[in-house]
Amino acid sequence: MNERLGKIVLRIEGVSKVYGEGPTRLEALRPTTFNAVAGEVVAILGPSGSGKSTLLTIAGLINPPTAGSLEVNGKLAIKDGRQVTNLATLRRQELGYVFQRSNLIPFLNGEENVRLALEIDGVSTRESRQRARVLLESLGMGSRMQAMPAKLSGGEQQRIAIARAMIHQPSVVLADEPTAALDSSRGRQVMELFRDSAHKHGAAVLVVTHDHRTLDLVDRVLEMEDGNLNETQPIADHK
Amino acid sequence: MMDLAIRDIRQGLGRFTLTATGLGMLMSVVLAMTGIYNGMVVDATVLPDVYDGDLWVVQKDTQGPFAESSRVPALLVDRIRAVPGVQRTRAYMTLNVQQQLPDGETLRFTLAGLSWPDDLGNKLPLEQGRALRQPHYEMVVDHALGLPLGATLKLGRDEYTVVGITSGMVSSGGDPLVFASVSDVLRIQNDLANEALRLEREARVSRVRRSPYGRDPTNLARAGTPGSLPATAPPPVTAVLVDLAPGYDKETVRASLNQWSDISVYTIDEERELLVRGVIDRARRQIGLFRALLVVISAIVMGLIVYTMTVDKMLSLSLLKLLGAKRRVILRLILEESLLLGLFAYLVALLIGELGFDLFPRRVLVQNMDRVALLGVIVGISVASGLVGLRKALSANPNEVLAS
Repeated sequence: MNERLGKIVLRIEGVSKVYGEGPTRLEALRPTTFNAVAGEVVAILGPSGSGKSTLLTIAGLINPPTAGSLEVNGKLAIKDGRQVTNLATLRRQELGYVFQRSNLIPFLNGEENVRLALEIDGVSTRESRQRARVLLESLGMGSRMQAMPAKLSGGEQQRIAIARAMIHQPSVVLADEPTAALDSSRGRQVMELFRDSAHKHGAAVLVVTHDHRTLDLVDRVLEMEDGNLNETQPIADHK
Repeated sequence: MMDLAIRDIRQGLGRFTLTATGLGMLMSVVLAMTGIYNGMVVDATVLPDVYDGDLWVVQKDTQGPFAESSRVPALLVDRIRAVPGVQRTRAYMTLNVQQQLPDGETLRFTLAGLSWPDDLGNKLPLEQGRALRQPHYEMVVDHALGLPLGATLKLGRDEYTVVGITSGMVSSGGDPLVFASVSDVLRIQNDLANEALRLEREARVSRVRRSPYGRDPTNLARAGTPGSLPATAPPPVTAVLVDLAPGYDKETVRASLNQWSDISVYTIDEERELLVRGVIDRARRQIGLFRALLVVISAIVMGLIVYTMTVDKMLSLSLLKLLGAKRRVILRLILEESLLLGLFAYLVALLIGELGFDLFPRRVLVQNMDRVALLGVIVGISVASGLVGLRKALSANPNEVLAS
């Protein structure tokens, strides 16, 4: 059992995002507060333009908020809308990302794409290779890990991307419509992977999705509309 | 940390190879230009190097014999020999010759005179045969002329036999050098047809008739007798080379000679300087400008290539930034690729030089210093191009990954 399970690993307090000023002012995300705990899978639903991606990019430390504070695994990253630490380091150590398209680096094979997340943080080649192979084997990619991304199917690419997001045991994984390019069975497989990985590695997984068919696999659902975040399902008991 | 640049190159090996080969060909032109210039300097100084001589005596107020034409009387050879401190004097004479062979081929060469018997051509870099042994009808040719040992060539009224073959002996114009005795060269230069000789004799008689000297019938009768006076004046030579006796100061002997009003005197080093500065200076500047232009073009082309390679990788670079890659990871990727591209191009340029420069009609002399300098230029261009790419790479936005 991962010791991080059940702990709050993402704390968002009063975070908002405003674009433009005066008549062009657009409040993409109204002041939002929520926490995510290690081991849970949280789905974020909402129509286009509701602020899902804005929330995800703020939580992923890609897009700075206009106001509010943000803490990842107990480390304060943003305070009152201002960056208070090196975000690149925090992204490298505490966050994992999965996208609609796998976005694998085309000149690296499957195993190298996974190793990359470790090696950019200074892990040795030997250790990164060993860990990547174990993880990819566990994801059923043992026989395909040496293939280049162009030779992999969409589902295989997405599994590699999930392995890359999980390999360094981040506390938070952010996924932006990871099943949108997959058929229903592969989409379900991917969501099952997220759920299993979240429990196994003790990470909170935030999934922005339109895919209602897989909601039974998530622990809670947050719904966004016009920049407001509403919780529509209770937190699942994952302890 | 895995080597991202090597992996990126491996993925697009064909494109990388083609690009580097193209750049290498461009660089080989830069190398060729350097080699051509070096070759010009060496070719231009072949003659002064072969003839040597402590002092070169030429026509008054000229910078001959290489920078401009010079004519001095042949008797000057004997006059100068009488000056204290002079051990040996030699006549210097060259002549450009173009001959149409019976098979239609054109032979073009520079005929240079050796002062028989003081100079038999023993200092010539012979690769076959021997130096001159006879005062007449023998010649030593450069192998670039393509004539074998024992071959004969008709020059003027006489036939000359190839007795020796040299290597790398060309004039400043790039023509192969052919060495014969000075008297042969003068004979070839001043060879006149019978009709021309007869006309010259008639003209001489006519001149005598019009002069006060011709009013004396005895003189007139003597002038009209064939052989009583030479038909033409003794032919001049181009310059006189002076070798000093041991223990004599060059400047002292020069000062003595400079008192004569019909000559100018230069040292061998001044002759070389005149040759390089005067004869090939314009070519040197032209080649220098052309080379600089090529380097600038190469830098622009390489900068564009590296920039394009970076643009092609922007999504991967955005992803690297999103994953929290340090700047040095991106810096290494871009600079390493740029340097590898430049180094590969350098190797291609060297290979082309090794295989192709011997096929050039004129000497292309690439020295190790030129190779090192080109490497320096390529590394400089690669780093500059890498910085152009790096500037673009560092502008990669992690948001782009989400937008894709």
